[in-house]
Amino acid sequence: MANVVELDHISKAYEKKIAVHDLSLRIDAGTMFGLLGPNGAGKTSSIRMIVGITMPDSGVVNLFGKPFTRESLKQVGYLPEERGLYKKMKVLEQLIFMGELHGLDAATAGKRAHDWCERLQILEAVEKKTEELSKGMQQKIQFIATLLHDPQLIIMDEPFSGLDPVNATLLQDTLIDLKKAGKAILFSTHRMDQVEKLCDAICLINRGKAVLSGGMREVKSRYERNHVVLHFEGDNSFLTHSSIAEYKDYAGHVEIRLKPHADAQSLLREAAQKATIYKFELVEPSLEEIFIQTVGEKVDA
Amino acid sequence: MRDALLIAKREYLEQVRGRAFKVTTILIPVIFIAIIGVMALSGKNSGVGKHITVAAQDADFANLVRDRLLADKDARMTVDVVAPATDADRQALHAKIDQKQLDGFLWFDSAGVKFVSRSSGDFATEGRLKDAVNRAAVQQRLTARGIAPGDVSALTDSVKIETEQYKNGKEIKTNATSTFIAAYIMAFLLSITVVMYGMNVGRSVIQEKTSRIFEVMLSTVRPGDMLAGKLIGIGAVGLTQLAIWLVGAVLLSGTALATQLMSSGFKVDIPVAEIVLFGVYFILGYALYSSFFAGLAATCDTEQELQQYTPLAAIPIWLSFGMITFLLSNPNSWISIAISMFPPCAPITMFLRMGSQFPPVWQIALSIFLMLVSVYAMLWLSARLYRVGILMYGKRATLPEMIRWLRYS
Repeated sequence: MANVVELDHISKAYEKKIAVHDLSLRIDAGTMFGLLGPNGAGKTSSIRMIVGITMPDSGVVNLFGKPFTRESLKQVGYLPEERGLYKKMKVLEQLIFMGELHGLDAATAGKRAHDWCERLQILEAVEKKTEELSKGMQQKIQFIATLLHDPQLIIMDEPFSGLDPVNATLLQDTLIDLKKAGKAILFSTHRMDQVEKLCDAICLINRGKAVLSGGMREVKSRYERNHVVLHFEGDNSFLTHSSIAEYKDYAGHVEIRLKPHADAQSLLREAAQKATIYKFELVEPSLEEIFIQTVGEKVDA
Repeated sequence: MRDALLIAKREYLEQVRGRAFKVTTILIPVIFIAIIGVMALSGKNSGVGKHITVAAQDADFANLVRDRLLADKDARMTVDVVAPATDADRQALHAKIDQKQLDGFLWFDSAGVKFVSRSSGDFATEGRLKDAVNRAAVQQRLTARGIAPGDVSALTDSVKIETEQYKNGKEIKTNATSTFIAAYIMAFLLSITVVMYGMNVGRSVIQEKTSRIFEVMLSTVRPGDMLAGKLIGIGAVGLTQLAIWLVGAVLLSGTALATQLMSSGFKVDIPVAEIVLFGVYFILGYALYSSFFAGLAATCDTEQELQQYTPLAAIPIWLSFGMITFLLSNPNSWISIAISMFPPCAPITMFLRMGSQFPPVWQIALSIFLMLVSVYAMLWLSARLYRVGILMYGKRATLPEMIRWLRYS
């Protein structure tokens, strides 16, 4: 697979803090890549270097297999977290303007804008001024502006924030279609459930450093299946079993973390003796748990 | 360059279609004409319609003064005579002033002449009284020496001075007031438009900053292109507005109203050279002020913060207009030359100097050159502040921070 983004040991320091330290990552065409991390971890700083808003102090940014040039930005679509539109402009004019800035001619930009508005069900808004639209609608317009020039690399910072579930699903499905069409998508968010569902690979950064990265399956397989979800009725005294490190009891629904290398089967036997078991599932930790665990450890350290 | 032009086009269309453009295009000339009208009217009407009493021992002399005062038709005075006047009359006159039946009285006695009035500092009335009393005194003295009354008026007729300007080897009939007004109008217009559009750029930068549009734009456009596009776009809006006013003025000068104004000696003719220079000084002044405000705006977070910097633009303008009388009467003194070379003041003061005399070409060339240099320096500075500032949110940058940004970029 062609690699679309390759960061090679990039670092960036601002006056008082190191924003990104020795970060390396690779995003291939046709994949969705999750860039994760707590607030202020360096996600936006890293993205800004990919799109040439800032330059790394050291290290190399390669786009489409070549060192960074501004010319390659014509193939990048970037939706920043801090996003904005010209309030007084009509939607269609605004989209054409954005398209033209990305190198399209006005006619092509207009046609594509129309098609996209149709696809995202906001065709009735094209003649309105942006300030007259709801926040969700503005978000969709921004989404279209990012995609109008058919970029090979799509970078989205918190793309679904502020959207209702119906529209979030609509945009999510659009992103999946784009991925299938061979685009590389870099996607940054706090919403671990979305990442888990959508991303093929992730990189978790904390305090400017990559603390965890790799393919989604591969990352998760590094963690033991040491979580148990259990539904029961009756005596809960089995929760004192020696294999349990920690548990949360939500009246009949228990989430258990086992001690390292503990025997889950002996726990099941004890539980079955004392209570009626409806469900006993040995699961791998969720990405959210991995996130909290990894970041939390580092924060404590 | 394509990006800068696209941005300029967007900015231009948005502003020209906006309401503010339409309002100012109409309102500024209206306010302008109103100000000139009020000035002319108040000049004519100050000290008008006063009620004065002339009190003297000599009734003939008192009547002479009265006749002189009444001869000035513009003053529309009411003049009574009390002669011969006694101390009791004086008390009565004081009482009348108290009751506001009288604005003041002239008191003649052996010690001299006194004008007692309710208000002080009415220069127009004082001037008229002085003139009337002097003329009456001269008339009386001449008559006393045996000169016939007809000869007296012939002898005391005042002389009118006509002003002519020696220009291009010819004496041209001019009117000092109208030349002044022409220069004043152009200087005033220039200061309004330069500052208005300079601030406009600052506001536009702030709006883009608060609407968080920069990050979207910067992923394709260079900050330098964004700034250039904005300056070109808004500058073109300013030129459009000036062109509308120029065309409007030319059209208006063909109408009946203008003919009437001109026949009343209110002739204002502006040579083409001044119109061209107006355009040049507008562009340079605008470039200077707008790049200044663009840089400042990038360091602010809200429009209110930017407004705190407004006096920085107002100071050179106050300074220029504060020197108006000096510039008009001493257009070639070294102070006048120096201030018209100082870039922030140059556009306005050059036009004020033109009000009395067209400055030497080398001085105009030098001032344009100095402005070009300062515009270049200001752009350099602002582009740096802009590049860093537009992605900084939160609070207004302090001066040390700005200096660090300059080194950092």
